[in-house]
Amino acid sequence: MTPEHLLLAVVFSYGTGALAAIVVGGAVGRGLVAGCALLAALSGVMLGVICLGAEHAPTVSAPFLPLTSFSLRIDGLSAFFLILIGIVGAAVSVYGFGYSAAYEGRYSLRLLGAMLNILLLSLSVQVMADNALTFLVAWEAMSLSAYLMVLTEHDRPGTLRAAHWYIAITHASFAALVGMFLLLSAGDLTTSFSAMRSALLTPGVRNAAFVLALLGFGAKAGIVPLHVWLPMAHPVAPSHVSALMSGVVIKMGIYGLVRVTIDLLVGGPSWWGGLVLGIGTVSALLGVLYALMEHDLKRLLAFHSVENIGIIFIGLGAGLLFQSYGLMTLATLSVVGGLYHTLNHACFKGLLFLGAGSVLHATGTRNMEELGGLVKRMPRTAFFFLVGACAISALPPLNGFASEWLVFQALLGGSAIPQAEVALIMPIAVAMLALTSGLAAACFVKAFGITFLAIPRTPVAERAHESPVSMQAGMLTLAVACVALGLAPFVIVPLLESSLAGLNGFTATTVVFTPALPLQVPGTFGQMSAPLLAVGLAVLLTLVPLALRILGADQRLRVGDTWGCGRIGQTPRMQYTATAFAEPLRRIFAELYRPTRDLSIDFHPASKYFVQSIEYRSEIHPWFERVLYGGLVLVIRTTARWVRRLQGGSLHLYLLYMALAFLVLLTVARWWR
Amino acid sequence: MRAYVLQVTQATLALLLAPGLVGLIRWMKARLQNRRGAPMWQPYAELRKLFQKEVIVSSNASWVFRAAPFLVFSSTVAVTLLVPILAVPLPFDRVGDLLVVVYLLLLGTFFLALAGLDVGSPFGGMGASREMTVAALAEPAIALAIFALALSAGSTNLGQIVARTLAHPGTALSPGHLLAFGALFVVTLAETGRLPIDNPATHLELTMIHEAMVLEYSGRYLALIEWAAATKLLIFFSLLGNLFIPWGVAVALTPATVAIAVFSLLAKFIVLAGTVAVLETRIAKLRLFRVPELLSVSFLLGLLAVTSSFLLR
Amino acid sequence: MDGMFSQLSVLGSSLVLIFGLILLWRRGVTAYIAAFRWQSIVLALVTAIVAYFAADHELYWVAGALLLLKGVVIPGLLKRMERRFPAERELDPYVNTATSLVVAGLLVLFGYAITRPLVALSQLPTRAGMPLAMGLVLVSLFVVISRKKALTQVVGFLMLENGLALLAILGTYGIPLIVELGVFLDVLMGFLVMQIFIYQIHETFESIDVEQLNHLRH
Repeated sequence: MTPEHLLLAVVFSYGTGALAAIVVGGAVGRGLVAGCALLAALSGVMLGVICLGAEHAPTVSAPFLPLTSFSLRIDGLSAFFLILIGIVGAAVSVYGFGYSAAYEGRYSLRLLGAMLNILLLSLSVQVMADNALTFLVAWEAMSLSAYLMVLTEHDRPGTLRAAHWYIAITHASFAALVGMFLLLSAGDLTTSFSAMRSALLTPGVRNAAFVLALLGFGAKAGIVPLHVWLPMAHPVAPSHVSALMSGVVIKMGIYGLVRVTIDLLVGGPSWWGGLVLGIGTVSALLGVLYALMEHDLKRLLAFHSVENIGIIFIGLGAGLLFQSYGLMTLATLSVVGGLYHTLNHACFKGLLFLGAGSVLHATGTRNMEELGGLVKRMPRTAFFFLVGACAISALPPLNGFASEWLVFQALLGGSAIPQAEVALIMPIAVAMLALTSGLAAACFVKAFGITFLAIPRTPVAERAHESPVSMQAGMLTLAVACVALGLAPFVIVPLLESSLAGLNGFTATTVVFTPALPLQVPGTFGQMSAPLLAVGLAVLLTLVPLALRILGADQRLRVGDTWGCGRIGQTPRMQYTATAFAEPLRRIFAELYRPTRDLSIDFHPASKYFVQSIEYRSEIHPWFERVLYGGLVLVIRTTARWVRRLQGGSLHLYLLYMALAFLVLLTVARWWR
Repeated sequence: MRAYVLQVTQATLALLLAPGLVGLIRWMKARLQNRRGAPMWQPYAELRKLFQKEVIVSSNASWVFRAAPFLVFSSTVAVTLLVPILAVPLPFDRVGDLLVVVYLLLLGTFFLALAGLDVGSPFGGMGASREMTVAALAEPAIALAIFALALSAGSTNLGQIVARTLAHPGTALSPGHLLAFGALFVVTLAETGRLPIDNPATHLELTMIHEAMVLEYSGRYLALIEWAAATKLLIFFSLLGNLFIPWGVAVALTPATVAIAVFSLLAKFIVLAGTVAVLETRIAKLRLFRVPELLSVSFLLGLLAVTSSFLLR
Repeated sequence: MDGMFSQLSVLGSSLVLIFGLILLWRRGVTAYIAAFRWQSIVLALVTAIVAYFAADHELYWVAGALLLLKGVVIPGLLKRMERRFPAERELDPYVNTATSLVVAGLLVLFGYAITRPLVALSQLPTRAGMPLAMGLVLVSLFVVISRKKALTQVVGFLMLENGLALLAILGTYGIPLIVELGVFLDVLMGFLVMQIFIYQIHETFESIDVEQLNHLRH
């Protein structure tokens, strides 16, 4: 099984899947789409695993384009991302088989299936790309296929607007990336990455390239303030597509940033790292704060993606910062932590979106305030969602905790930075990261508790049913991945470190992590052993009930009514609502949220002392859209209106323009020295 | 081999002492308020009574409600195995450091909050909401206190921190340590639900935070949860005592040093319990929306601790 | 010995700064006066410690004067004023409490960044406490800007003065006695003038809310 064979299998399977979607219809078509995508994803994982341990990176090139060839190279970083794409892609394809059954006859399944395969194919090609043109073509294919899939449910309110924002910001980021590649390759987009690595660029060009990379890849990743499309586009897409987008597509921003800044630009001055760290901290905090206020399940998850991208940026920024000071051990630690969190987030966010999709599939609504009591009606989905919720809240011994622990350790090592003013950023980043993870835990207590626990709040929740087997299988895959990744950091972390070894900025470092049972941070800063922890917890969980039985504790159990201060009967309205749960935090952070308040009281016509009805409305609009983008759109509109005056509509005016241009050209040609 | 035995003994001792610690604080408060108060072993009697009672589970509740007490108790016992109570260094030190301890405690809080929401009563929801708010806002303060300690000790490993302070006695009086102690003390009050953040003896549901979450529990489930809460208090007291004033902690595992360790532990507990009792008698409970201000003060103390550690390097 | 001196001075400076932070946390004027009194006592203790370790006997007199003036006299006068205007609490400052505390933290870090060259140049064992004194100066300035009641602003100004005195003591082991006495006289004079102003404001507006002064313009 050579890498070339596996690569062929990947391309061929995705292609067949895309074709099958268009040609074959019905359940068979869906099955073919899912099957081909699954096969290709698994081949991708195998390809990644093989190439991760390889000494030299296999390369493939095929003359496809007129100016240059498609050139692919699979080094350690590419292999890691291939594994990531493969795991999430496999789960999503299996899930999609059952989920898209609901679309039969209403929306175009052909487009959905075809675009799913094309998206996965372009993602895989992108991480293997070895020259600028291949990368850009794959990037554009990814953006367009994702856009078309976002538009699937086109008759629902909000979908078109979300898709517009998505494509606008994606294309702005594409423009930034084209500019960046032009700078890196001195105008020739056919240059291979290896040529770019050895190119000598002036510091000004390097800084400009870094800023463009940050803008372009940051917009795709979803950092604040370029994140506004995320909470719009991810909820309206079909749920397995949302899982893929949140789990994998935004990680392409991370891949691009690592590839460009660490590999192609070989690191830079300390302000690069500081900027990325600052942006990461702000994104993490704002992401989770806005997520807390949401009661649309998928919008909440989308904002959490912003938060986790912030955490990944914190790891990467710290890595760049340490690298600029030559502290390579700490730099490796930070970047490994960031990449580990990338993989973990892909798994648990994918799982959570698939769970939300099951809820949507079963009840038809994403609104938490209308749900409840689903844990008894969809027990397996609820369990998978709980695993995802525990993982994202960084509870040991799952995977979220392992990667956050690594990032914390990296930041705690920040005292080694010689410049004290810069070193003081680290404690602030540590505090903000801790606050973020605490708030994330609070948010997921709300999300899981209100959606799944207690009693159903509306009849649609009462009639919910468990998801079909294919959807459960998809969720099970990712849940298993979450647990496995959490229990095996001592295996994963050295693998990640070896994947970094091929990158330009990280060669010639001594091996930082040795595969031993406790994961030990170098310099004896801290140790953690997730599997031992898990074993310990499991042992205790079995011992305690046993001990109670042996020691003669009373084992009787009776089911009764919830205690309610002596009231008779309970209605669903007596439960806590999602809005009520988040109320203390809304009050505490009111300066940030600035909720609007609308109170209207209807009095009885006969007397002002009797109230007939009270209507209270409170909304929180993230002010980014209003202030930042509203201002930007206003500027563009005004400029456009002004420019429109040039188009008078009169033929003579246009003839005048042509004549003027001709005269100017003659003058310049005659007198230009 | 001896070390493992000692580790298990240490955890058992912690579990056995925990209700007594709560009883001690209650007794001290009673005496300060000019009452006789219940004897110090009253919580033990309460636990025994609860273990002999029938459990009533709400019809709204699911498996989360039934599993939560065991999860909370197990995670708390796991933490007692990681924290230096009697001796350092111990073999389970490799399993987790201070960050693992913080997140294991968060695991317990997470499931308790879910259980509060599971019963479908407004009290449970209210308690869960407030508890998660306080827990989330206390996180930065804990993180900075850990940072300050780790900075002076060079590691987040608990055994290492204690060993470092024992080796350099001067650092115990350094501003970084003292300020970190202040920050961690406020966090202790927040996490264990003592005044001025939460009143453990209140009967009014609208003033409860922790009690409201567990309002629906009864019988052996309630016993486990109460025991876990008492153990959490003991854990925090051990951290406050042994990380900042490590004299008495056994370094070599001989019967003499272990006996000294037990006595010094009891002495530290009595002092800390006395402080908490006096504080609870003097101060009134804060409104929920004043609690973030108190936690900001704790955060600021942590920040000053870190800056002082940087300054004096 | 040197290490002990250094530790004690940083400990003292931290306590002085923490008492300053009370102005941002508590709402009642009684707490502010108590905080100022304790801050001055700790400042006098720090001066005495510096006097002991540096074997400079003039500083003992300075410590005594500090204790007398700022620990007894001025707090007494403040208490008398507070009895005239009871129940004036800082309920609605321009910046709320939690934000103020976070801003105070950032100001302390800023003070640290500013005094880096000073700390690097100085050879004295007390140099490590200078950033904290600078932090107190900045925090007091913030208190004066963001609080509405005149009494709070007066206490803030007095703490600013304490911060400057601490900076002088830590940076150069104090200033000559005669200059110090002159500064004390200035502070006392300034305080008495502010007292008259506050009485006048209260006469005119029936409250010591400084925002009311806006009504004076037409």
